[in-house]
Amino acid sequence: MNDATGSTFDRRRFLSASALGGATVVGATALGAVDPDAAFAAPTPPLDPAVAATSFAEGLITGIDGGTLLHVKGSYGERHRIQLTNATSIWKLHPTTADDVESGDGLYARGLEMPDGTIAADAVWVNIVNLDVTVRGIGKDRLALGYHGGELIGRIVPGRSTASYAGAALTDDLSGVRMGQHALVLGAWRPKDGAVDIARITVGH
Amino acid sequence: MIALLVGGVLGWSGSTKLFGRNTPVQASGTVLERKLGGLPRATAALRAVGAAELLVALALVALPVPLVTGALAALAGTGFAAYLGYARATAPDSSCGCTARDKAPIGVRAFARAGFVLAGGAVVLAEGLAAAGLPAPAGGPWWEALRDRPGAALGLLAAGTALAWLLFGDPDRAVRLPLRRLRLRLFGHPLHGGAGPGGDPEAVPVEGSVELLERSLAWQTVIHVVRSGLREHWDDEGWRFLRYTGLYDTGPDGAGGTGRPVSVVFAMDAKAGLDSPRPPVIRVGAVDEETGERVDVTAGRERPGALLGEGV
Repeated sequence: MNDATGSTFDRRRFLSASALGGATVVGATALGAVDPDAAFAAPTPPLDPAVAATSFAEGLITGIDGGTLLHVKGSYGERHRIQLTNATSIWKLHPTTADDVESGDGLYARGLEMPDGTIAADAVWVNIVNLDVTVRGIGKDRLALGYHGGELIGRIVPGRSTASYAGAALTDDLSGVRMGQHALVLGAWRPKDGAVDIARITVGH
Repeated sequence: MIALLVGGVLGWSGSTKLFGRNTPVQASGTVLERKLGGLPRATAALRAVGAAELLVALALVALPVPLVTGALAALAGTGFAAYLGYARATAPDSSCGCTARDKAPIGVRAFARAGFVLAGGAVVLAEGLAAAGLPAPAGGPWWEALRDRPGAALGLLAAGTALAWLLFGDPDRAVRLPLRRLRLRLFGHPLHGGAGPGGDPEAVPVEGSVELLERSLAWQTVIHVVRSGLREHWDDEGWRFLRYTGLYDTGPDGAGGTGRPVSVVFAMDAKAGLDSPRPPVIRVGAVDEETGERVDVTAGRERPGALLGEGV
């Protein structure tokens, strides 16, 4: 994209401008505090034909070809091939790139099945876990989580870990977490040491 | 003494299974539930096991025939171990149903419990053998031991009880958690606001912005295009930008034709979150990934005019 002087815009600046420049401006609340009419007009997510054909796959990555074709062994023995594209979002505790995906990682993928059986992924979540736990210990950089009769280490990642308290917006202030509390932990499992990096801990809901 | 100890343990575990209110809870998730075809049968089976345990326990404590009671206890321990081995082999993630609170998958502890009962039974059996004149360490019923050498007997009982508590009880809950609570009380909550020293206390984590976005009308308006999770985000001049990828269908009714990959970029106040006093404004733009042209992804959607307050 060139401007009048012929120089190239910084890509992000261009994308920023595309979001800011448009007249497409919408109030942020679904209750339509700006425009009551809008609340009634709010559509439910459409049953897009493409969305209906969405495929899901999960399992362990057994191999990676060319950095973008993932060979995955499912929990029930099935095999998948997951193709990453330049439009695939990859989550591994935070949005990341294909370089961050390793053999031995667990994976959950959503995408479209191609005629050859490969799934072209829209979104891939690497090592994502969603655990029902009890807070059993609170440390400076970690939580001890009671899970399935055992204990897990939940690592608090500065700048990443957030807490969701009942009735409040997400915050990175984890000081409201209490001992003995029941919690849901969304995070990324670390195959190396079996700990979980906490993306979000939900308590009191 | 051992007979009293093993009898006590079996009596406690048997009576909780037989009379306990949460036996069904205990039975849920065990291999019994899967193999016997349902929770009611598994519960009945568990209660039956409890009754058997209780009978063995009563025999161990009350009957002066260690040859018989020891064999019974050893048999029970072998039975438990066999059951655990079978469950471990057929349904590795099932819980053992041994004690009410423990929903952990079968592991070392469960086998150690079975081993405890088995070993206790073997010792009692050995005492019985000795009493019958066969080669084995000498011994009699536990009350004789208590009468003859009360000190040693009580010491053995205490040590055994501690071991049983470690195996059957919940030492973690009883010791570790109170210690951790005490530490928190003494030294305070170690977690502070994520912003940390020098950080901006008003800063909203990116996840908070995503949460706000996903509940917004802006999201509802373009969700038919968005196909990915968050790809990247950046802050600039007070704005926070969130980029997603999407597929924009150029077909006449949105169902046919070929999809064009687009970047969908949302812009919002970087400090806006669900807690914001005013509902913030979210701006949306879509750019064709290949040509770099702006795309109006809301074109042709139902009542877009009602959704999109122009120039709010």
